[in-house]
Amino acid sequence: MEHKERIRLNIGPVHPAMHGVLKLILDVEEDTIVKAQTELGFLHRSSEKIAESRFFSNYYPIMDKLDYVSALNMEILYASTVEKAANIEIPARAIYMRTIMAEIQRIMSHLIFIGSFGEDIGNITGFIWALRERELLMNVVEKISGGRLAPMYMCNGGMFYDFPEGIDNEILNVLSTIENKVSHEYSAMFTKNQIFISRTKGIGVLTKDMIKKYGITGPIARASGIQRDLRKVSPYLAYDKVEFDVPVADAGDTYSRFIVRTKEILESIKIIRQCLKDIPPGPYKTVVPWVMRIPKKDTFVKQESPRGEMGIFLVTDGSDKPYRLKLRSPTFFALRALEELLVNIRVADAFAIVASMDPVMGEVDR
Amino acid sequence: MENLSEKLKNEFKKDIEPIAGQDNLMIIKLNKKSLIKKLSWEIKRYFDLLYCLTVVDYAPVFELNYVFSNYRNNDVLVIKVNIDQKDFNIDSISDIFDSANWEEREAYDLFGIKFDGHPDLRRILLPEDWPGHPMKKSFKVDDEIRNWTGLDMKF
Repeated sequence: MEHKERIRLNIGPVHPAMHGVLKLILDVEEDTIVKAQTELGFLHRSSEKIAESRFFSNYYPIMDKLDYVSALNMEILYASTVEKAANIEIPARAIYMRTIMAEIQRIMSHLIFIGSFGEDIGNITGFIWALRERELLMNVVEKISGGRLAPMYMCNGGMFYDFPEGIDNEILNVLSTIENKVSHEYSAMFTKNQIFISRTKGIGVLTKDMIKKYGITGPIARASGIQRDLRKVSPYLAYDKVEFDVPVADAGDTYSRFIVRTKEILESIKIIRQCLKDIPPGPYKTVVPWVMRIPKKDTFVKQESPRGEMGIFLVTDGSDKPYRLKLRSPTFFALRALEELLVNIRVADAFAIVASMDPVMGEVDR
Repeated sequence: MENLSEKLKNEFKKDIEPIAGQDNLMIIKLNKKSLIKKLSWEIKRYFDLLYCLTVVDYAPVFELNYVFSNYRNNDVLVIKVNIDQKDFNIDSISDIFDSANWEEREAYDLFGIKFDGHPDLRRILLPEDWPGHPMKKSFKVDDEIRNWTGLDMKF
């Protein structure tokens, strides 16, 4: 038998083709990976420890920087946790406003995924197109909240400000543009593109058993045929009052992970349109004191973030700060599958597979 | 869910005690930490994955909250286990629930809890040679940490 030389390839933490500061250690024989290890922690900022020294109302900026691609989802998750722990009811208008903001952020996050996925397999045009569409929504978020990447829009009991006047029409205009582009224009760039199909179809197959073994949730699990979306399973916010489908694919390969996320954009557009139609007038927040004390209890809240099921385990002890705040991040579980998934594939495909996981290291390392 | 709690009551009798939970959140306290593996095997019949593992520092006692969930419905089960600071180890359940692997590594990294039988108990978020376990309430930022560079050289 011919002896093959084995090379150890360190990719990352700072590498143009790697997502954020993920580090992969690949043992390579010729062009095939024989062993893969992941290394995390390069963006560890100890968000959980910071929570223990801040008032409940002062933790929102940290949640923004957790998953910086979907900051509003993180804010809503934290706000829901604190409100559940403190038994705060938020007004009906605030519920609808939060649903709209969560779905706008989900579209933005998935557009970033489409863009960076295109970039990773050499499709720079896709990257620029996706960011062009994202910019339209960024402007909407900026008009609503004043911020773009880290909006700081949620607060305990609701939102800081109401929607500005006439924003519904602008959102609807932007949504119809995005719907048109995603469902028609992107197919030429991605799903009807022969190069894209041959780079993604049948690559990096995650079976149902692997999903259950590693505890993967979210779009990655749905791409492998697991029909589970917390927006349907345990409806929170206004998700039980709107109609939408949960896109599921069966193959579990890189291509279906792309397709599931693309379809989710169209479903989110549907949700936002229904919410804008049904949004009731009234107050947009329940006024609660800035510093509040929450009695001793454990609260566990989980919500569907664009990357999967994000959860917070909050332990309070009657003081004005959390006693312990644990963040359950979905990509932390998904990245463990890479050690099995990357074996016996080509190095060039490894980048497509990592990109299809859509990791945001801020949320993995916390 | 009801079947499971009945079954657990019959199986473990005095070693477990239910705590009144919130909607859809069942909390059970396990009194003997040596039984965690046996309990996990029972839970495995109903739950698919370890959803998250939260360690809470009530020094000298540390409370481990195992959150289990499954893919079929919205049920969540929380198992609370107390371990003492003097006897700072517990059996790993990563051979029963594979998703526990990195969660246990994280608990070891941030709190220093030893998980017996874990296949690969290394630090995960912090560097290998980091001094101390920062999520403990007793952790203080001292000169050793302030001057830590991660390199074996003096500047």
